[in-house]
Amino acid sequence: MHNLLIFIRKEILHILRDPRSLSIMILMPLAEILLIGFVMRFEIEHTNIAVYDMAKQHSSVQLIQRLEGGKRFSAKTVDSMEEAERLLKSNKVKAILRISPDFERKILNDNEPTLQLILDAIDPNTATTIEAYMNAVLNDYFRDQGMSYSPQLLKIDQLMYYNPMLKSVYGTVPGLISVILMLICALMTSVSLTREKEMGTLNVLLISPLKPIQIIIGKVIPYLLVSLVNIAVILVLAFTVFKMPLAGSLLLLILVSLLYCLCALALGFLISTKSQSQQVAMMVSLAGLMLPTTLLSGMIYPIKNMPMWLQGITYLMPARWFINILKHIMLKASPVSAFLPDIGILLLMTLVITAISLHNFKVRFK
Amino acid sequence: MSETIITVKDLTRKFGDFTAVDAISFDVKKGEIFGFLGANGAGKTTAMRILCGLLSPTSGQAEVCGFDVYHQSEQIKLNIGYMSQKFSLFDDLTVWENISFYAGIYKMSKQEIKIAGESLLEQLELTKYRNRLIKSLPLGWKQKLSFSIAIIHKPKVVFLDEPTGGVDPITRRAFWDMIYKASSEGITIFVTTHYLDEAEYCDRISMMVKGRIAGLGTPAELKTRFKAKNMYDVFLKLARGTDNA
Repeated sequence: MHNLLIFIRKEILHILRDPRSLSIMILMPLAEILLIGFVMRFEIEHTNIAVYDMAKQHSSVQLIQRLEGGKRFSAKTVDSMEEAERLLKSNKVKAILRISPDFERKILNDNEPTLQLILDAIDPNTATTIEAYMNAVLNDYFRDQGMSYSPQLLKIDQLMYYNPMLKSVYGTVPGLISVILMLICALMTSVSLTREKEMGTLNVLLISPLKPIQIIIGKVIPYLLVSLVNIAVILVLAFTVFKMPLAGSLLLLILVSLLYCLCALALGFLISTKSQSQQVAMMVSLAGLMLPTTLLSGMIYPIKNMPMWLQGITYLMPARWFINILKHIMLKASPVSAFLPDIGILLLMTLVITAISLHNFKVRFK
Repeated sequence: MSETIITVKDLTRKFGDFTAVDAISFDVKKGEIFGFLGANGAGKTTAMRILCGLLSPTSGQAEVCGFDVYHQSEQIKLNIGYMSQKFSLFDDLTVWENISFYAGIYKMSKQEIKIAGESLLEQLELTKYRNRLIKSLPLGWKQKLSFSIAIIHKPKVVFLDEPTGGVDPITRRAFWDMIYKASSEGITIFVTTHYLDEAEYCDRISMMVKGRIAGLGTPAELKTRFKAKNMYDVFLKLARGTDNA
């Protein structure tokens, strides 16, 4: 225990003596979350759409006004389908809405009015988003008109729970938190340990009465403290800049984040047992963790759409489970039992990774 | 009088099919300066790692300070010191922080660290530099400091792994003076080196060639036995001898 404290003190001195690295460790997540958080948005704003209003009557004008009412769309009225298509081709508008001449009559007679929505599907994400917004607006409109059924365009009566505005930050911010914490934590431990290898101090430590487990714990604890600062910075940003809700318990959120950091620190340790230089450790931590975490955690691309073998791999991504827990706590306030299995999996992963790296660490010498 | 501190008998270490250390046997006596020589890849480092408790042998026996390398590596670690070619000091810590860290992990008390640390600084004339970062010190100072730290806990044996690599002849000579001093205080010195002139400074030398000990004795004995003018010739004859065989 005494030895461990001496070791931790040394590690803290290392961190404090290198204010540049320390500030990178704290500012990098700050810059990343701001940058990516603002860039990675899938909702649309002020999208130009062409409206070919063949009816030109009270109710159709009302519909157009309704479309423009939110800040999602700016409608551009056209007088022919040719004109509309020309706009679509020249990329001036992203969609065309055609209102049939008998629109008002059908509404008054409580009949199904005919609407046509043509979408520019070059960018399928945007097209689907436009469709979803359009559906929502039309749905509202027809309900206000007192119509008992949904218009043809509407296939399902959707109710978006937990994220009624379909804000994409609700999805991306938990993803970002997990990517950033993973990178920073893995990077910190892997570099710090390979540095000792390069300097030759690791050999001296191993020949000394220090036990390998003391070296590992001594390395992890100071960096866990740095991670705590990172968690605080990221959460403050998430709540203030990105207006993320916090439906559940803050304490739980922090504890779970610490567990995830521990898992990432252990992963960094595993990387360092296999790499001989700081550069290698850095490359593996950045390139080897960033892509899989971003692509396979369900942060951007839905896991359900992946081929089966790839879905299998996602089970190995700590971020997959962590994102799920984050969403439960931040958006749903679900009871702990809802995400207890995910916590268990993270805990298990941490233990397994630590065991493997401890084994690697010792095997070098046996 | 001549108490044995390291006993090695038929010590063998294999890595797969490759035999790095092939049934070597030797004794090192208390207070002796024992030179461990050999070309790169001759098995010096492997043998040294076994003696330091970092690597377990494949077969044979070895005892360091009366402790068995198979089962008592923890006790061995408390009784030995180690210094490598890289000096192994922490660049971003001060002189005093390095001293108190290494002394601390060898379980010295605060009081002991204070006394031993101050006298170390005084002997090296580093007292006024105690708060300087290691990276700002010249190479020769780092080397001396590294050695003094390696023996601060008064180990019975200190293992020096090519301790004079990369320093100039004058600094090397000064460093050997420190080694003699430690030896006179009863610390056994186990040193590997590439510099054959340094071999002459040792009480006894073992020369390893391809995992085996090809020659063992005082420098004078070896020179007579191999009819050589100096250690350099002894080394060449030994190394070539096995090649021809």
